[in-house]
Amino acid sequence: MKDYKGFTIFEIIALFFSYSKLNLKTTLEYKFDRVLLAFAIFCREMVSVIVMYLILTRFVRIKGWEMNEMLFLYSFLFLSYCIFVFIFTGIRDFDGMVYSGDLDRFLIRPLGLMYQVIASRVDYCATIGHGAVGIILFIKTSGDIGIQWTASNIAYYLTALIGGAIIQAALFMLSSCFSFWTIRTTNLRNLIFFNSRRFAGYPISFYPVIIQKLLIFVVPFAFVSFFPSQYFLRKTDMNMFWDGYLYLTPVVGVVMFFLVYKLWTVGLKNYSSSGNSM
Amino acid sequence: MIRAYLEVAKKSFQNNITYRMDYFAGVINTIVMIFVNISIWKAIYEEEEVVGGVQFKIIMAYLVLSFLLQNIFTMEDYLIEGRVTTGLISSDLLKPMSFRLYVFSYNIGSLVFKAVMQLLPAMIVTVALFGMLPPFSASMFIYFLISVVLGYLVLYNLNFIIWISSFWFYFTFSLVTIKDAAVMILSGALIPLWFMPQWLYEFIKLTPFDSIFFVPISIYLGQIPAEEVFTSIIKQVAWVAVLGLVGHILWKAATKKLVVQGG
Amino acid sequence: MSLIKVENLVKDYKINVKKKGLVGAIGSLLVPEYKMKRAVDNISFTIDKGETVGFIGPNGAGKSTTVKMLTGILTPTSGNVEIGGLCPYKQRKKNASRIGVVFGQRTQLWWDLPVIDTFELLKHIYKVPEKVYDENIELFSEMLGLKDFINQPVRQLSLGQKMRADIAASLLHNPQIIFFDEPTIGLDVVAKEKIREFIKYINKEKGITMLFTTHDMQDIEKTCSRMIIIDHGTTIYDGTVDQIKNRYGKTRTLIVEFGQVYDKIDLIPGVEVVDTKDNKKWLAFKKEEVHISSLIADLTNKYSILDLTIQEPEIESIIREIYEGGVNYDKSLSGGGKEVLSK
Repeated sequence: MKDYKGFTIFEIIALFFSYSKLNLKTTLEYKFDRVLLAFAIFCREMVSVIVMYLILTRFVRIKGWEMNEMLFLYSFLFLSYCIFVFIFTGIRDFDGMVYSGDLDRFLIRPLGLMYQVIASRVDYCATIGHGAVGIILFIKTSGDIGIQWTASNIAYYLTALIGGAIIQAALFMLSSCFSFWTIRTTNLRNLIFFNSRRFAGYPISFYPVIIQKLLIFVVPFAFVSFFPSQYFLRKTDMNMFWDGYLYLTPVVGVVMFFLVYKLWTVGLKNYSSSGNSM
Repeated sequence: MIRAYLEVAKKSFQNNITYRMDYFAGVINTIVMIFVNISIWKAIYEEEEVVGGVQFKIIMAYLVLSFLLQNIFTMEDYLIEGRVTTGLISSDLLKPMSFRLYVFSYNIGSLVFKAVMQLLPAMIVTVALFGMLPPFSASMFIYFLISVVLGYLVLYNLNFIIWISSFWFYFTFSLVTIKDAAVMILSGALIPLWFMPQWLYEFIKLTPFDSIFFVPISIYLGQIPAEEVFTSIIKQVAWVAVLGLVGHILWKAATKKLVVQGG
Repeated sequence: MSLIKVENLVKDYKINVKKKGLVGAIGSLLVPEYKMKRAVDNISFTIDKGETVGFIGPNGAGKSTTVKMLTGILTPTSGNVEIGGLCPYKQRKKNASRIGVVFGQRTQLWWDLPVIDTFELLKHIYKVPEKVYDENIELFSEMLGLKDFINQPVRQLSLGQKMRADIAASLLHNPQIIFFDEPTIGLDVVAKEKIREFIKYINKEKGITMLFTTHDMQDIEKTCSRMIIIDHGTTIYDGTVDQIKNRYGKTRTLIVEFGQVYDKIDLIPGVEVVDTKDNKKWLAFKKEEVHISSLIADLTNKYSILDLTIQEPEIESIIREIYEGGVNYDKSLSGGGKEVLSK
């Protein structure tokens, strides 16, 4: 019997693609349904964009923000969510995995649990639905708001997007931790996540100070959309905030993710000592 | 017979109580949505330096009314789909009870639940926070109430058409979501229609969508001239009838399909 | 050499005590009250390489909890588990690479995809060498008839086909031990037989050690040489299947529906009436003492009969019987010097 050896990083990546391939194949099994679903998600997400568009066609600017600047800010939310959902669908759906017993199945595989959770599922419909909105907004606005797309700006932009995706992953993962104690938090999570996201679609300077603080320190969506777009736009309302925030998106993401991951391992330990049923 | 439907409504009311988290989510979502939107409109009017002006007060009242109505107009979108996919629909049709009235009673039950348990707390909080314009006049308030009921029925009949599609489509989440998106934009739920470009406004007036939220709220706020209120309400009645008829035809086709295929 | 070693295994669960009524519900939401429940209570056994062991007991007896501890899903409250020198919950991944698990009620196959796609993925997950993989696919295709449906989406397969594919999936990486959790549940007789044949074959050919949990006495009879019965978290029997069959599995019951109500009936020796209800009687006999055909012939000669049903003893009733009689349990019955814990 051959002895067990761990996986090399290449094998891990290759395996990730094997999973993705199966997910893609599953999606393509129901082409019509999935295309319609992606389109439906696109429509749902476009609602708030269209409302913003209609308001700004009428009023031209709000607190110094013009249409393209606002839509550029908004594009961060969609693109980072698109990256998040592409990579971390499994974390979004973690609750279900605990209840369906998929988690037990993962535990009898010679692979890390978090790896399997992440690799085993990709929601291509949400990825495409959100991604399409984000790309439309980006294409419409990015050439029009005086951004020089230099190498450093591109690097900042990509880092900010990924950082934003990680922040959202950490928020979802925080709620998934509770599943280990068989506490259902999906509704609470959606409530907090999607309402915060609603706020973050507009510049946070529009809101009372308490909401601004919440969006910076508690549910840090300000780092997903507001501060990254301010890095490029430098609107006057940035004076209300510390300049350092402009660079903190990836830091906030990584620190949050790390802390939540620690909690997650505690949860896993609890799970394996209590199980979810007899 | 009426008793049976009342029982259904009661059951639906009780089902709503069971999902505690959804209950709180419903209240908080409504309050947050009102809060976000009012913040945005406040920012808009700060620019124009007329915050505190009549315009802004009307917008605030419009948004509060709209989100409160949206809350209670939320319906059980997957009730029929659930019966169809599980196959229970066949036995539903054999019961000595109209299935369509059953679905309607169920929705009325949750409407009552939302009105009592969600609308009231959300209304108290938002009115305390943002204030509320009184109705334009006593008679307009009466018309408003009539128009709200008609608005609900327009949306219900529109929804029913989508729900019935579950007889042909395996799952209707996508259609429901697209319908929701259309309603959100075109019914004036998120932005008063008078802020829309003229061509779009003219177009929407030809659709049933403005009958859902825009007409009742405009009547409350006195934004529709008294002589036009009557025609607006007639238009609502007409849409209830037209959509109801379409739903009826589809329902006949759906049940026929079920009989042909043997459930 | 023993491959699986279980010593004084104990597992306690914390159970949330739910109180009744609205006040109670709010109360337990704020101040949760817990009760400890011992699901596995001091179980010990060893299993040698190549053994086939049936692990049975009524629902809630603690068998799946034990299996979960053996596979590394759960950590024990106390006691030791060792599988091929590894501690399953501490060296989870390494242990996982050596074991296979089949859950009868939960498939590991990708529902919307052809069977072969799941196999390909498992090949990468377990790093199965190309050669081994090809050999196994060929073997399973033949033995389990996979070739008929290997390219079909799993959702279109019958229950039996799915189970066969599932078993193949768990064996692709040549595990040393395979755990079967209700592998034949819900299958028809032919499908069950095919699966049992296959299990016996690979046990013989590949020397894979097997642990079954099942409700089906036939599964055990046909595939296992040894049986461990647990109830209320403790072992109540550990010995050969033959012995338990001889002692408990011989009684058959014939249910007879007579054309009229008879108070008393005349029976051939060795048969007794155990129950009567209206025109129905339950007749018990030992299968090697009484020929079923002569019993039926005798009855049809003497009485008018509407219907006959033969009832085999069910594992549940055997277990219950053993459990109830456990106090007098005869140590000589347990085979191979295996330890018997009796209550």
